[in-house]
Amino acid sequence: MKLFQKTKREVNKHQKALNELIRVVGEERVLSAIEDRICYSYDATKQKVIPDIVIRPGDTNDVSNTLKIANKYEVPIYARGAGSGLTGGAVPLMGGIVFDLKNMNRIIEIRPDDFVATVEPGVVTKDLQDEVAKFNLFYPPDPSSAAFSTLGGNVAECAGGITGLKYGVTRDYILTLEIVLPDGSVINTGGKPGYDLTRLFIGSEGTLGVFTKITVKLIPRPEKIQTLAAYFSDKDDAIDAADLIIDNNILPRTLEFLDLMTINAVRGYTGTDIGKDVKALLLIDIDGTDESIGHEMPIIENTCEESNAFKTKVAETAKERDAIWATRRSISPALYNIAPHKINEDICVPRSKIKEMLKRVDRIKEGHTIYIANFGHIGDGNIHVNIMYGDDPSQKELAEIIVNKVMREVVELGGSISGEHGIGNMKSQFMELEIPPHEYEIMKKFKSYFDPKGIMNPGKMFIR
Amino acid sequence: MTTDWKEEVSKCSKCGKCQTVCPVFLETGDESSVSRGKISLAEALRDKQIVYTEKLRDHVYSCKKCMRCRTVCPSDVDYEVIISALLRGVADEMGVPLLPKIIFRYILPRRILFDLMLRIGSKIQRFIPGRKRGQMRHLPLLFMGKRWMPTLAEKTALSKFRTTQKLKNPKMRVGLFTGCLINYIYVDIAEAVVDVLNRMNIEVVIPQGQLCCGTPSSSMGDHKSSKQLAEVNREVLESHNLDAIVSACATCTKSIKLDYLRTLGPSWQKMSDKIYDISEFIEKYCGDDYKTKPLGKKVTYHDPCHLMWVRGITDEPRDILKKSSDFVDMDMAGSCCGGGGIFTIIHYDLTLKMLERKVKSIERSGADTVATNCPGCIMQIADGFAGKDSSVKTTHSIQILQKALANGDVSKEK
Repeated sequence: MKLFQKTKREVNKHQKALNELIRVVGEERVLSAIEDRICYSYDATKQKVIPDIVIRPGDTNDVSNTLKIANKYEVPIYARGAGSGLTGGAVPLMGGIVFDLKNMNRIIEIRPDDFVATVEPGVVTKDLQDEVAKFNLFYPPDPSSAAFSTLGGNVAECAGGITGLKYGVTRDYILTLEIVLPDGSVINTGGKPGYDLTRLFIGSEGTLGVFTKITVKLIPRPEKIQTLAAYFSDKDDAIDAADLIIDNNILPRTLEFLDLMTINAVRGYTGTDIGKDVKALLLIDIDGTDESIGHEMPIIENTCEESNAFKTKVAETAKERDAIWATRRSISPALYNIAPHKINEDICVPRSKIKEMLKRVDRIKEGHTIYIANFGHIGDGNIHVNIMYGDDPSQKELAEIIVNKVMREVVELGGSISGEHGIGNMKSQFMELEIPPHEYEIMKKFKSYFDPKGIMNPGKMFIR
Repeated sequence: MTTDWKEEVSKCSKCGKCQTVCPVFLETGDESSVSRGKISLAEALRDKQIVYTEKLRDHVYSCKKCMRCRTVCPSDVDYEVIISALLRGVADEMGVPLLPKIIFRYILPRRILFDLMLRIGSKIQRFIPGRKRGQMRHLPLLFMGKRWMPTLAEKTALSKFRTTQKLKNPKMRVGLFTGCLINYIYVDIAEAVVDVLNRMNIEVVIPQGQLCCGTPSSSMGDHKSSKQLAEVNREVLESHNLDAIVSACATCTKSIKLDYLRTLGPSWQKMSDKIYDISEFIEKYCGDDYKTKPLGKKVTYHDPCHLMWVRGITDEPRDILKKSSDFVDMDMAGSCCGGGGIFTIIHYDLTLKMLERKVKSIERSGADTVATNCPGCIMQIADGFAGKDSSVKTTHSIQILQKALANGDVSKEK
């Protein structure tokens, strides 16, 4: 992929910047060998562009010094956490500096009395969840990559997760941020009057500044979780059931939907055993106290049965619970049993429009030799539309055409092109489908206010 | 090799999940430590973007080959094929200058170790097959660098059990594959295996002429040596017409049961099916009919990488220990102890960090003995406690069983 050809002047500038960086942040924080740079050239989108240099700051000071130099010489800089993003956020599209924040991974403090914790951006989400659990506290945002993705990356992409319906997404738990701006200055947002700059930076995908400290809100940890699987012979029944559960004033911790194509893929996959007549599946977790679960679970079971579920199963033991969720976890690898390539779009539509959306996806697919598996967080309308295609180049082209059509339908139904994965460069072409020109320009003005030289993650979010 | 590494690297979806289990990444946070990074380097080699350099070699050698990543990989990438190809590439392109380097760097400057090496050398000479690189097979003994190291046994396990203790009407006849560490150092583990199985009316043959399993040489990419070793071992093991082969070393079991399928081809399958970890064998064939009197000791168990992550064996050793002692599980029982192979020499500092984590887990469990099923782990963990002047003992789970069985017999006699 040749995206960007540097001019001679730029090459010179980059060289000068590199020399100065080594001098200022210290050699031990700089990786310049090709064998190292290759290891920071990609993220989970499988795009690959080798950066000119990798800087691994140890503290806010290093971040500030690096940004000052990058800004002075106008060298692009790409903040990177675990490199597990799904829209290309950490890929150094135009060369320059990859800013590996993995070493800034201290949990600075947990204040159990105040229900807050402050962390550095490289802390792995699950590590924070485990630490606060020791105080019987809970950090709910739970992207499926939580065991390896970082808080910094989660905030930058505004990561969601399967607990979004009840507990919201990353945005809902960020109180304050320490941010280094491209000119090297440090600001502290949040907890003060005036414009809410914190929210502006959440989901900014590394295009405005680099987080160096993140303070999150915590909530009491639910005492207990119980899991139910409901089996349907018609996907519309499953969608109705999901609706009715929420209409009963019950917000499940997770409410996951699997369509037939997804079930076909996981059926027979190690550890999963789903009957032949199952055409749609709901996987439901509820949490709370013994009493609240005892009250809610029968209502959910009844609702599913009234919506024609032919079987419901409550997990009695931890092992059974694990088996149910193993089905969910196996989706991603199992999909490759259908076809070797995948485009996964995390579209979002109002809950009442899910049936219509899936109908439209079916219609788009009609007559094409391509497979689409739909599954996801049905409670908040966040459906993952997975377009599976073969090795042939014409298949890839077809898949892209289908994505394009799907996105248009999403926007027409009042939905969003991205529920939780961010925009990056993978979805930047669809931004203007959803965002009117005037608003797009406002966003660009914010961008050029904070980053006048355009060094922060260039090539992401905006196409022009 | 049945799978082509060049195709295998394309299967990696770069999701990053291997970061959650890689014991090296846990310490370094370097993307070059984790499989995803190494796979991208393999990809770059395939696409001729890079060539073999010292830097690349260091990255390749920073893998513990514990294969945790393989078990969690959502894309089912056969990482072992890829890392083997990288190791072989390093060996082919850069030679195997490592043995002299290790000796020069770590052994020669230390008089005691050098003496020791000679002593080892004199001991092993007679086992060297008439082939050039045969001595590779004893590398584990040299890997101990600046480490506390157990003394060599006066008499090796192989010579001690030259003749088989015949049983009258044995239930089965099995062979014991000792492996280097048990043969040269932990002869008492071999004794325990023989004693325990004999008590269960199983005759134990220690096939003479068996060699190193080949792991040390394949770890250095020297697959030619590994193949030679495998071929000799095949001859030795197949010649006895045994009902099963057991090993008390997690790494040897992995090597002869699984790696040989690649080295020797599918014709090894029949033999492979008969190879067991000692605890796996006992629980499968004798699980219900042995009587123990549990020791009063509080014992915990450390899961060796090659048993837990490669073979999925975690229950059997615990079942044995539960019947033999006051068993208590530790947290992070499956975290790597840091021991094993070339990694401990090249990344000694990381080895120590992993060991420190392990030692702390064991201490938190409150156990006075830690048992495991791998002599490599025993050597490493014992080193960790030796450095601390701790009273915690490190042993093989089969040795605990041996004592509990003897205990039971004595009480019966009373």
